[in-house]
Amino acid sequence: MKTARILIAPLVCFLMIFSMTACKEKAPDSYVVGISQLVQHVALDAATKGFRDALEEKLGDKVTFTEKNAQGDIPTCTTIANSLVSSKVDLILANATPALQAAAAATADIPILGTSITEYGVALGLDDFDGTVGGNVSGTSDLAPLDQQAQMIKDLFPDAEKVGLLYCSAEANSLYQVNTVKGYLETLGYSCTLYPFSDSNDLAAIATTAANDSDVIYVPTDNTVASNTGIIDNICRPAKVPVIAGEKGICEGCGVATLSIDYYDLGYATGLMAYKILTGASDISEMPVEYAPNFEKMYNAEICEELSITVPEGYSPIEG
Amino acid sequence: MTLNPLDLIAQMPGALAQGLIWGIMAIGVYITYKILNIADLTVDGSLCTGGAVCVVMIMNGYGVTLSLVAAFAAGLITGLATGIFHVFFGISAILAGILTQLALWSVNLVIMGRANQSINVNNYDLLVSLRYLQEVMKGARPFYWSPIFVVGIFVLIIVAVLYWFFGTELGSSVRATGANANMARAQGINTDSNKILGLMLSNGMVALSGALLTQYQGFADINMGRGAIVIGLAAVIIGEILFFKFFKNFALRMLSVVLGAVIYFVVIQTVLWLNFDSNYLKLFSALVVAIFLAVPYWKKKFTPFSPKRKGDADCA
Repeated sequence: MKTARILIAPLVCFLMIFSMTACKEKAPDSYVVGISQLVQHVALDAATKGFRDALEEKLGDKVTFTEKNAQGDIPTCTTIANSLVSSKVDLILANATPALQAAAAATADIPILGTSITEYGVALGLDDFDGTVGGNVSGTSDLAPLDQQAQMIKDLFPDAEKVGLLYCSAEANSLYQVNTVKGYLETLGYSCTLYPFSDSNDLAAIATTAANDSDVIYVPTDNTVASNTGIIDNICRPAKVPVIAGEKGICEGCGVATLSIDYYDLGYATGLMAYKILTGASDISEMPVEYAPNFEKMYNAEICEELSITVPEGYSPIEG
Repeated sequence: MTLNPLDLIAQMPGALAQGLIWGIMAIGVYITYKILNIADLTVDGSLCTGGAVCVVMIMNGYGVTLSLVAAFAAGLITGLATGIFHVFFGISAILAGILTQLALWSVNLVIMGRANQSINVNNYDLLVSLRYLQEVMKGARPFYWSPIFVVGIFVLIIVAVLYWFFGTELGSSVRATGANANMARAQGINTDSNKILGLMLSNGMVALSGALLTQYQGFADINMGRGAIVIGLAAVIIGEILFFKFFKNFALRMLSVVLGAVIYFVVIQTVLWLNFDSNYLKLFSALVVAIFLAVPYWKKKFTPFSPKRKGDADCA
């Protein structure tokens, strides 16, 4: 008897929920867009917001969003992908690499747009990536012009010798950027040392070592750094070691200067792509991956002043 | 946005498949946590090791079967490492697991070559994939390609093999070691080697689960095992609370642990469906586990007298 009651109780609950929500017919020209984001931090949040703003501007009430955040958990990325695909959303925005990979594993039919992804070829295991993913995947890349970032270090610190490259070893994108930038820096005559840390727990120790041994520190577009800029700032500012950052959010927290992409703009550009796909104006399989529309040289006025760094022409201050 | 129960129903096969894959991992946790009476934290690392080995093997052209075997073997080695730390270095089990987990971070990075390695279902013949699940439901693939079916068969085979193994003399001595180490030693059982064997077997299961998981989700990531032990323990506890009362048989108990993992993922999927602010997702997971842990305690506390309290039947 008791067992039967235990079994019946959830069933009754379920039926109650079921009866409360009448089956709703979907309006013909309305769209449901699923958003799967890996973790919340400034850059990813900005990209999601830009995406939503672009679509809402274009489609108004006709678009609804199902926004899910995996809280940094890889298994949850898969659960979210399953949830969005099973609910048959019209389009999926995958914000950050694991979110894209999980979504791409889940469906070959529903269009998937990625954003905040550095290298689509690496993320999706494509050997012959030529700028267009094909199939049901496209999106925007957050790859900053790394050669110009290296040149920026040369412009700002011509007398420096040792550059420390600080990044999270858990992020494939960071390693890619660091290795590329290292090549450019070495041709400019700097000696480079890699300082990989595994997570926020050993960031402080590694950053201290990096600050002791380097004249300048470079950090790429790194999710873990983006969440922990305070730690780096507390170490590098007292040590008087300037930090050049891969993007604006990190520069705002701990950097001196950056050649930055704006994640809001990047998300907005992704939103415009989504609009073209939803309205049928473009076929996702033919859409090449888009890059950030514009780059801006920016500096962090507060830290520059404290380290008495004079910023050359052409840099604009980050407004906090 | 209104909640559509049909959506939830459509999402259940995915939760079921994911739960079954994690169920294999939960069997691994069950071996250490319940049979050996050791809380082994190696799993956070060995899950990823299994995935990493599997992805790299498949990418280099080895078949899926061989890749799964290699992943299982790699898991055995991680368990051996923890066992050696514990038995020969005299480090407490929990710390030995943490040490191996720490070391595996670097090992996994070396195996994969970078932090995230994709295994695209378009390019390789994988055994299980979230993609297949959708295709089976649309009728594009026959039912036996469904991950639920494939992993279900896997689970049954694993349970059968483990049931046989724990019935052999060797398996029985592992169980005796966990139940009462002093008594086992008095009977002439080498408890040290049995602990190592249990840890190896457990991490082999976890790595096998990791190998299936990478294929299912389409990538291996250095962070994929983070918090795995929590999911494993949750599965064991949910299975124990809900089913151990009816399932006294050892094989059925392993199955109920798998069901525990399935229920965990069904709950997570439902929470996501409810459109809760996902910032509360982890709080919710913790609460679910806490409630499952508390129910038997409350039952005991608030039931005035239980006439049929026999001996502790939990020593599996």
